[in-house]
Amino acid sequence: MTNLDENNTFPLDQIYFYLTEGCNLACRHCWLAPKFDADGTHYPTLPVELFETAIREARPLGLTGVKLTGGEPLLHPEFLTLLEIIRQEGLELTIETNGVLCSPEIASEIAKHPDCFVSVSIDGTDAETHDRIRGVSGAFNRAQQAVRNLVAVDTHPQIIMSVLRSSARQVDDMVRMAEQLGASSVKFNVIQPVARGRKLQETAATLTIEELIELGRHVEMALAPTTNLRLVFDYPPAFRPLSCIASSNGCDTCGILGILGVIAGGQYALCGIGKHVSQLVFGEVGKDRLETVWQENQILKAIREGLPDHLGGICARCLMKHQCKGACIAQNYYCTGSLWSPFWFCEVAEKEGLFPETRLVEVAA
Amino acid sequence: MTDHNMPIANPLVVLREEFDDWAILFNPETADAMGINPVGVAVWKQMDGRHSLEEIVDDLGERFSEVPDTAGKDVAAFVNQLVELGFVGYELKDSGR
Repeated sequence: MTNLDENNTFPLDQIYFYLTEGCNLACRHCWLAPKFDADGTHYPTLPVELFETAIREARPLGLTGVKLTGGEPLLHPEFLTLLEIIRQEGLELTIETNGVLCSPEIASEIAKHPDCFVSVSIDGTDAETHDRIRGVSGAFNRAQQAVRNLVAVDTHPQIIMSVLRSSARQVDDMVRMAEQLGASSVKFNVIQPVARGRKLQETAATLTIEELIELGRHVEMALAPTTNLRLVFDYPPAFRPLSCIASSNGCDTCGILGILGVIAGGQYALCGIGKHVSQLVFGEVGKDRLETVWQENQILKAIREGLPDHLGGICARCLMKHQCKGACIAQNYYCTGSLWSPFWFCEVAEKEGLFPETRLVEVAA
Repeated sequence: MTDHNMPIANPLVVLREEFDDWAILFNPETADAMGINPVGVAVWKQMDGRHSLEEIVDDLGERFSEVPDTAGKDVAAFVNQLVELGFVGYELKDSGR
């Protein structure tokens, strides 16, 4: 299974732009761990000319869409200019925001885009829970209002809830809240052991693998039938019921082979992980030709040649490896320094006897 | 293939049933795998070389409610897919020579 196009090359389908080094929230679980920046004036943001350069050089490589994320993308001082560039280029648009700055005016500008997908992060169903996780008072009300502002212009966002031990019991209520706000879907994220997420895991503020599997099963089998919203529980596909995989339109297929990151400092990277891991930074926007980076970088070439067959550990034995592709190569590298390490979630599950044997190439005697 | 053909499951292929009544068919020789729904599981269990496709479809009518009129074609397509994967073969009936 490959992503090769008719020219026998890998198209660069998506660029993920990590627009700001700072963020106006201080989330306890953030894997990027940006510096706190209430108004977006204290830390670097991606210059517009580099944004344009990356898009211009990516078009001939197959670019069809961009994701704007952060830090916090709406904190970028020229966010509306970036939106206009994306519209003019006719690119699909994805925005991941905490919603704090998503005013009615900004929502209207986003809604002008004919093909956009917006997610707003809300980590609890009350201000006390959300604001404690997000580190800033008032964030909950602003995030809820952001959803309302987007819905008012007929852009129904996804709500993303990162599940901590302190908020896990609010999962059902989150779906009810999303229905009332007019969201299109709810995604439940597992806290990843990167940066602040690692510290949370070390202090047992996250759920155990057993609890996560149980919660995922609850969301997919019990909660999903009670709502018209699409629900996504973001654990590896090996743990997902087959019935849910069959009805999820390929969402379990990782797009890593067609994605490149651009971080706020103006570098090409595997993704935002480049902020933490210099080995996964591939070049400078505007100095290095993107075509050269995309086609000749040794790590990108190794990933294309090695996924999924070079994956080790439990991933090597998993029937889902062609869809999952190791779940998150960046995460795996961050944890071990190897691209081919198994995904931490699956590795722990195997050690604890929780990995579903039906999904293994060989079943233990 | 003739009307007298009866599908028979490759004995090497393992049916791995999961908690929600779906299952994975897995061929340990090739590592090929395929997810199947509860109807597929019922069809698979009838492919013992002693049941025709018509009999298998009739059996579905007894096990499941609201079996569609297209069940015969659907089951035939499913079995053909399994044949192509090498998960199923046919055992020809004695022609009466």
